[in-house]
Amino acid sequence: MHFSEDDLRAALKRKDPGEGFTQRVMARVEQARAEGKTKPVNGKSKNNGTFFAWWTLRPAWTFAVVALLLLGFAWGGYQYSEYRHREEIRQMAEKQRQMEEKQRQLQAEAEKAKEQAILALQIARSKLNHVLQQAQVPTGMERIRRQRL
Amino acid sequence: MEQHVGRDVGHDEDRLKTALSRAALGESAAFADLVREHQGMVFSIAYHYLHERSLAEDLAQEVFLELYQSLSRIQSAAHLTFWLRRVTANRCIDQGRKKVRRREQALEDAPEPVASDPPADPLLLERLQQSLAGLPEKQRLVVILRFQEGLGPAEIAEALDMPVNTVKSTLHRSLEELRKGLTRKLREVRYAFF
Repeated sequence: MHFSEDDLRAALKRKDPGEGFTQRVMARVEQARAEGKTKPVNGKSKNNGTFFAWWTLRPAWTFAVVALLLLGFAWGGYQYSEYRHREEIRQMAEKQRQMEEKQRQLQAEAEKAKEQAILALQIARSKLNHVLQQAQVPTGMERIRRQRL
Repeated sequence: MEQHVGRDVGHDEDRLKTALSRAALGESAAFADLVREHQGMVFSIAYHYLHERSLAEDLAQEVFLELYQSLSRIQSAAHLTFWLRRVTANRCIDQGRKKVRRREQALEDAPEPVASDPPADPLLLERLQQSLAGLPEKQRLVVILRFQEGLGPAEIAEALDMPVNTVKSTLHRSLEELRKGLTRKLREVRYAFF
């Protein structure tokens, strides 16, 4: 079955909303006006009404923007928590490394002190040995006195 | 003759402009004039989109109520027509989605509106309307604005906030789908008979 553009125009011909449509619209306007819900706005509103007009005309876009913002916040929060986690791990590793370094330094100092103590003991021992030897060998005067006896 | 027509159009525009400024000042009669002037357009877009008279009338009333609140923003008669088409189109899309969610009355059950002239081929026109109702929302609106309102692709693009090339391709695709839909329906009718 074929159709022409004229057929389409005929199928989409303007329809009459029927008797009393204007009256019904005016009644709704009057009702809304009486309830204080609506009035023709003289002059421009503070924000020029553009945001709200946009909201009314494009609710789907508005929801999409809000959803994107929420998604962005969630992603940002997740990234931030991940960053904090990584930072904590890095700080802990750094602390551990510092402690190990300090321990190594302490160990090195202890080794050094031990070596110094051993050296000191060796010196003291050699001094004592020398004193003992000196004490056992008789002096010249002592030798003469022994000979007289 | 042309001069006479041109004078009429100019006169209409002046009349609408006057009505617009008087309505913006709160004069009900002037607003009623504006409603009377544009009700056919608004109601027809809604009706052809929704295929349900009561929903279309509600939607048209809502559009005019919104117009009443936005009168101060309307700058000219042409702007008024543009604004009405745009708001009606957007509300149609919203209402269409609600309708799908609610699974309301089927298209076949919808009562026919009052038509001023009898159609040339009622069967063809009915099939066309049914096929049109099966098109996706944007495609349906593009076809309605093109063939009901006689708008060009650039005007449709402006009204629906779409690129002109998208409008052209959408229109082409919609006509193809309408043709396919009609052929399918014809086959169904043949099977039913033979």
